[in-house]
Amino acid sequence: MSEEKPTYTEAALRLEAIVSTLERGGMGLDETLKLYEEGAELLKLCKSELAEAEGKLNELQLDEIESELQSEKQ
Amino acid sequence: MTGSGQVTTGPLPIGQFAQLVKRTVAHDPLFRNQALKGEVTQWKQYASGHTYFSLRDEDGQMSAVIWKGKCSIDPSIKEGSEVVVIATLDLYVKRGNIQLVVQRIEPVNVLGELEKAKRQLIEKLSQEGELDRVRHRIPAVPKHIAIVTGAGSAALSDMHRLIDNRWPGMRRTVIGVLVQGPKAPQQIVRGLAATRALTNVEVANQRGEPPVDLVIVGRGGGSPEDLWAFNLEPVARAILASPVPVVSAVGHESDVLVSDLVADLRASTPSDAIERVVPSRNEIEFLLDEMDERLKVASRRQLIDCRQKITVLHSRLRVAPLAGLNRAKGEMMRMASRIERATRQTLNTQSNILARCEASLAAVHPQRVLERGYSMTQTAEGSVLSSVDGLQTGQDIVLHFADGSADAQIIKTQKVEGTK
Repeated sequence: MSEEKPTYTEAALRLEAIVSTLERGGMGLDETLKLYEEGAELLKLCKSELAEAEGKLNELQLDEIESELQSEKQ
Repeated sequence: MTGSGQVTTGPLPIGQFAQLVKRTVAHDPLFRNQALKGEVTQWKQYASGHTYFSLRDEDGQMSAVIWKGKCSIDPSIKEGSEVVVIATLDLYVKRGNIQLVVQRIEPVNVLGELEKAKRQLIEKLSQEGELDRVRHRIPAVPKHIAIVTGAGSAALSDMHRLIDNRWPGMRRTVIGVLVQGPKAPQQIVRGLAATRALTNVEVANQRGEPPVDLVIVGRGGGSPEDLWAFNLEPVARAILASPVPVVSAVGHESDVLVSDLVADLRASTPSDAIERVVPSRNEIEFLLDEMDERLKVASRRQLIDCRQKITVLHSRLRVAPLAGLNRAKGEMMRMASRIERATRQTLNTQSNILARCEASLAAVHPQRVLERGYSMTQTAEGSVLSSVDGLQTGQDIVLHFADGSADAQIIKTQKVEGTK
């Protein structure tokens, strides 16, 4: 796990804010480019988060998970 | 009527038909885990450990059986007791008897007691501020859902089906527990403790999966009795102890359970829980694509705006010196006319003064005096004579008149007495 990566929700909120700011317009070249780059980065992150939601389906009885957790602790 | 899938031509053997009825009954959820109330009659506890009785009220009655050890029986239950049972309908094929297989039986007054305990618990949690604590936020896209529910239950297969519809292959860990009966509260608490362990990053790393970031605890619908575990303090505390959001997903309509009150999200059924916490992957991807498009369009427009602004600035810069010159020229012209006006005014004043001086000077001009009949005498050298002193007899003088002059000679001088 990478450290302090924004969650999907945080990234999506920030992305929405960036897009609205850009849509409102009125900023300079530098800021536009900076916002665009940040937005593109956030989009990439959001898309990678989607892939991370896919995974294994574990179906365990209470005793099984408890003994798994117990053995992992040792 | 070919529910068995076999086409039969002749009459159906009765045993097969009874089996068919049994299967049909077993498949109908109405007849499974149904809460029923009535009065106990023909109460018989056999040496085998099974208990047989009938449940009746004024409108009808049915046979019922409690298999040995399947549920605890309150010793106060006897002939004539009012009870609530949780039972599943079954056909005893050998005899063709329809009977209720009871999973739980409680005297009615016990329910009253439970209700009272529940109210006290709510009061207690409320006083501790647990009911209006700040809730955890449900992740927009859960990376690892833990589901604590009855293993192999209909509620669980509903949840699996819905998850896979909305987000195929979403990562989840199901912890199968008993969700009703005397062991349920403790099992649910242990299940929640296991999910708590799975939220730990180290544990998750060790298991090679992301930590659990959302917990769903629940079960399908049932009588208040069935759901009672979700009204108990240990379960409520276990929900409160979770470091990640917990969804209370117990199938029921009207009555609020304590688990609903303490959870981060209350769902009316397990399926409802899935619909509320598992987003549709297609929708999310569509939203992201839309966001992508909006980001590009807005940035491009913004860049075009910037370019236009630069163009405007550029052309303004080109005309700027001209504008400056024009302004300066105007300024100069305004200045010039002010100077002219000022000069004219000054000159006017001056000429007025001059005219006045001229007039007063004119009054004393010698010519005016001569015009009045006086004459002016000068020596031949041009000095004006104003006295007889110094005049010699025979000296040439010039007399000036208004209209001319005459040369003359002094014949005799005589000074007026008393003048200087």
